[in-house]
Amino acid sequence: MNIKTNKDKLVQVSVMGQIASPGFPGLPAEPYRLDADGRPFLLPTYGGIVYNVSVGDSAFGWLADTIHPGVSISLGDDTGNRGLNILSCVGNTAVVMSGAAAGARGVVTGKSGRFSEHVIIHFKREDREKMAIGDKIVVRSFGVGMELADHPSIRLKSCSPELLENLEISTSDSGKLAVPVVGIVPPHLLGAGAGLTSEGGSLHIQTKDRAALKEAGLDELRLGDVVALQDYDSSWNHGYFRGGIGIGVVGQGDSPRAGYGPGITLLMTSPTSGIEPVLTAGVNLKTLFNLS
Amino acid sequence: MPLRTNENQLVEMAVCGNISQPSLRYPGYIPDASGTARVLPGMAGVVYNARVGDPAFGWAGDHVEPGVSIANPNAAAEFALHYLTCIGNRAVVTSGLAKGAEGIVTGEHARMLVDFGPETNELLCVGDTVQIIAHGRGLAFTDYPQIELKKCSPALINSLPIEAIDDQRIRVRVTMELPPRIMGSGAELNSEYVDQDLMSGDRELMAELGIDQMRLGDLVVIPDHDHRYGRGYRKGAVTIALCIHGDSIMIGHGPGILTLMTCPEPAIEWVIDPGANIATYLNIREDL
Repeated sequence: MNIKTNKDKLVQVSVMGQIASPGFPGLPAEPYRLDADGRPFLLPTYGGIVYNVSVGDSAFGWLADTIHPGVSISLGDDTGNRGLNILSCVGNTAVVMSGAAAGARGVVTGKSGRFSEHVIIHFKREDREKMAIGDKIVVRSFGVGMELADHPSIRLKSCSPELLENLEISTSDSGKLAVPVVGIVPPHLLGAGAGLTSEGGSLHIQTKDRAALKEAGLDELRLGDVVALQDYDSSWNHGYFRGGIGIGVVGQGDSPRAGYGPGITLLMTSPTSGIEPVLTAGVNLKTLFNLS
Repeated sequence: MPLRTNENQLVEMAVCGNISQPSLRYPGYIPDASGTARVLPGMAGVVYNARVGDPAFGWAGDHVEPGVSIANPNAAAEFALHYLTCIGNRAVVTSGLAKGAEGIVTGEHARMLVDFGPETNELLCVGDTVQIIAHGRGLAFTDYPQIELKKCSPALINSLPIEAIDDQRIRVRVTMELPPRIMGSGAELNSEYVDQDLMSGDRELMAELGIDQMRLGDLVVIPDHDHRYGRGYRKGAVTIALCIHGDSIMIGHGPGILTLMTCPEPAIEWVIDPGANIATYLNIREDL
């Protein structure tokens, strides 16, 4: 990689979370959520230890609502959880600090947004099987504050130096940052998360209109795929802006709900077209980090 | 003649709240699109100089809520206030110097928004209790079951110049169209709750499309948006909505759009009418 950064000035700091339990609303509320046509459904959703869905698997087809691959962590304390959610970067190393899987190491692969605010971590299946809800996991956060010396219009968010090195990015002849992506999401298919924070959380591709999804070439996305966001500026929140462009990673699976679908964790944004997405098959965290 | 509805089956029920104190999270800054930190008023309290019928853009404010904002401190009662109150419902002040004064519900944001008019506003105190005669939950068009109404009071529906085109379609007057790609914050919420902001960050686009001429209380259409169960993109769907709060400097935010009618198929057509505003339809402003 020939891209200059200030990574030698970045501070590495621990942020801790505990494996989150799945949750449902208390009685007498209905346990159902409603799909985009108003049909009630009752399916696994975010949180917990997910044994059989991992980065690299399809983002579609699971009988689940915005499922998080691998392990989801959060911290009960609000401000502490915000520290965990904001400072953790995709590609950071996570280490299990308590329980039978203590010592196991994983990689941060995404974040979830309003109503859950988890950090999503990939661990090997055999490590997941030793884990218990509540186990403590420390993320060695490293990346917030990182800048690209030759690309001042680009802001990096939740992007670790490790990820930046593994992505095959380059400066194009026109001076833009060329980033390989598997797809480009048009703005009318971006839904939940718009207007919310881009320092953490997620921005969801909305998938109710399957024909529009297929037309955009997004119907075969995988968890961990790197994608571009067209005409969005995510400098200080996510929002529509012609010429803006973002890069993110698919952190969560599809959803039956209106306005929802695979969730994207933002990695980079430029309000002035400073990023040139280059359609490339197979740009996925699983291969970038050699995850098993 | 108004379209036939099931109005005579609806229950009228009181819900109440208190006038809210504006509040800021220390130190109060919000970032604008360039990243500049700003402190601006707009939400909650009694807003003396912004009413439905006034511009939604151009205030030195953020998410300006016209008129009076009320909320209930009890969480369950607060949700009842949100889910039962409809646009056009009558509101009555039940404590304080303005006791007995009547107003009209003009929007639902983080709080319910009520227009009482300038004379009553002078007498209102933060904390005063306001009771709303909630009327409209369950309202439906008798002949157009494919169109879902949300937060429409019979008073509102009966005031709108809606035309029946044929037995499948109606025509509604709106001030403008909003393209689905600019629909932002609020997509994450259920569509029975509050509003969705249009994203006004692309100022040139707002001017090109005339969206920057929007007024508080305007009726607007969002083509290809289905708001029945959540708010999302669906080709052919139509949503008619109401501008309930003012513009925002934050990326991904802008004037708030509250769903009034929605259908998953093209059952609603529209005609552009710059006068399509509830300030006129509900006789709220005599000065316009």
